[in-house]
Amino acid sequence: MIDEGLRTELSRQGVVTTTLEELYNWGRKNSVWPLNFGLACCAIEMIATSMARFDIARFGAEVFRPSPRQADLMIVAGTVTKKMAPQVVRLYNQMPEPKYVIAMGVCAISGGPFKEGYNVLKGIDRYIPVDVHIPGCPPRPEALLQALMTLQDKIARQSLTGDKRPPHLKAEAPGECPIPAFGKHDLEPPNNPALWQPPPMMRTE
Amino acid sequence: MNLGPYSFLALFAIAGVAFAITPLAIAWLWARAFSPRKPGPSKNANYECGLDSQGTGWVQFQSEYYLYGIVFLVFDVETVFVLPFAAAFKGLSAGACAAMLIFILLLVEGLVWLCAKGVVARR
Amino acid sequence: MNSMETLEQLKVRIQAAAPGAQVEIVPNGCAASPPSLLLDRGHTRAVAEFLREDAALRLDYASNVTGVDWPEKTVKEKVKVRKSAGGVEKEVEEVRERKTPGYLEAVYHLYSMALKHGPVILRLRTENRADKVAVPSLTPVWRSCEFQEREIFDLYGIVFEGHPDLRRILMWPEFTDHPMRKDYVAPDDYEYEPTPHDAVLAKAQRHYPGGTPA
Repeated sequence: MIDEGLRTELSRQGVVTTTLEELYNWGRKNSVWPLNFGLACCAIEMIATSMARFDIARFGAEVFRPSPRQADLMIVAGTVTKKMAPQVVRLYNQMPEPKYVIAMGVCAISGGPFKEGYNVLKGIDRYIPVDVHIPGCPPRPEALLQALMTLQDKIARQSLTGDKRPPHLKAEAPGECPIPAFGKHDLEPPNNPALWQPPPMMRTE
Repeated sequence: MNLGPYSFLALFAIAGVAFAITPLAIAWLWARAFSPRKPGPSKNANYECGLDSQGTGWVQFQSEYYLYGIVFLVFDVETVFVLPFAAAFKGLSAGACAAMLIFILLLVEGLVWLCAKGVVARR
Repeated sequence: MNSMETLEQLKVRIQAAAPGAQVEIVPNGCAASPPSLLLDRGHTRAVAEFLREDAALRLDYASNVTGVDWPEKTVKEKVKVRKSAGGVEKEVEEVRERKTPGYLEAVYHLYSMALKHGPVILRLRTENRADKVAVPSLTPVWRSCEFQEREIFDLYGIVFEGHPDLRRILMWPEFTDHPMRKDYVAPDDYEYEPTPHDAVLAKAQRHYPGGTPA
């Protein structure tokens, strides 16, 4: 809207200009409230991030909510077992819009070191949309903070109007994901085809 | 007619209510403009949990709560009577003190009955 | 462990205390783990209570209960057989295949908290891997077996008779397979492999629409 040079000049003189969108996103990104959702070892790193040394409170995210209805970020930290997967999806559904998901650790991204287990879901992005993935086993607290900053950049770039607006502002995008059911041999469906496709194979020789 | 000091009161009352209502109104208008409503079965569920709720929410309450309610009421009413007595203690005659002490004695008898029944003892 | 008697002495005492019990000492393959006592299914509870109550043993803590799946094995052995070929009787060495039946096993590791010794290892075997998979439960004797026997029921399929609450613990109740058995086939829900060949490639391609990896 306003020329960047003019904006910096004005801010040097003590006049701050902003747009409504920027202000709205600034407020949202600096007060992301995560949901208390530690499943396994990555949860310990998440706890460490919230403690004094790494301090997630500087980013406004120290209030980990116990209830999904008060949270806007779900940090899936740890291995998602197939028995737990419907509960993860149900909790995601219960979060009000706008909501974001960080898949922390390789287990939440793809099953991790346990992906051949009989009860391991090969990545939570099979059922819910994930915004930021953090590789690592477990990722260091600094990596979780980097992911939070990446998410903050993503929130800052979201627009309020127009085609590029995020799905929670579009009326036709579904707010809830279908919850998998327990089948005789596996979860039914094994993945959500609207959200997850098998990744392209790089080399087949 | 002269409103006098009440004009300030009216002004502050209106300002206070406006101070409370304005952010809510802005938020409501913003939501109407930008955020579409997305209700769903999980979002409208009564209880937030990873598992589905089973059964009804109505459970049978234990009768001990009823007893606590009655005891509270009795002693609360007693307090209402005792407090003005304590405030006006110095200016009362001996007969009034005696009447009040008989009132408290009746209630103490009730308390002794409760102790004997075992309601007050720690379980 | 030095103050404990040997397994042979223990076997004699068990058979004296629970008459009719058949106890066998099963050697373990490696030097690191001690041999175990194989109990029969009829007198298990009596033997277990003897082990817990006996003054010299006092094995009051079952620290681990685990399951083992022994599939049936085809053993090839050379047998000398008399064969008549054209009127002449000859002794010929023939290779015969024999199938040793398979079974499921529950292995208990018992320690004594009172006398600070152990472990004594027990084995319980089922009759076969298909339909006769019941074994008496030792949860009434050692409470710590409760969840572990549930896990063995879930993963191997051994039914523990006398267990207070036998249901699946790791998998969901509607699940039908027993994942730790040797013949368990995991469902194919697409596993990413960076450079797949042959069978893995064929298996992966089934998940792509059109058959080719996008």
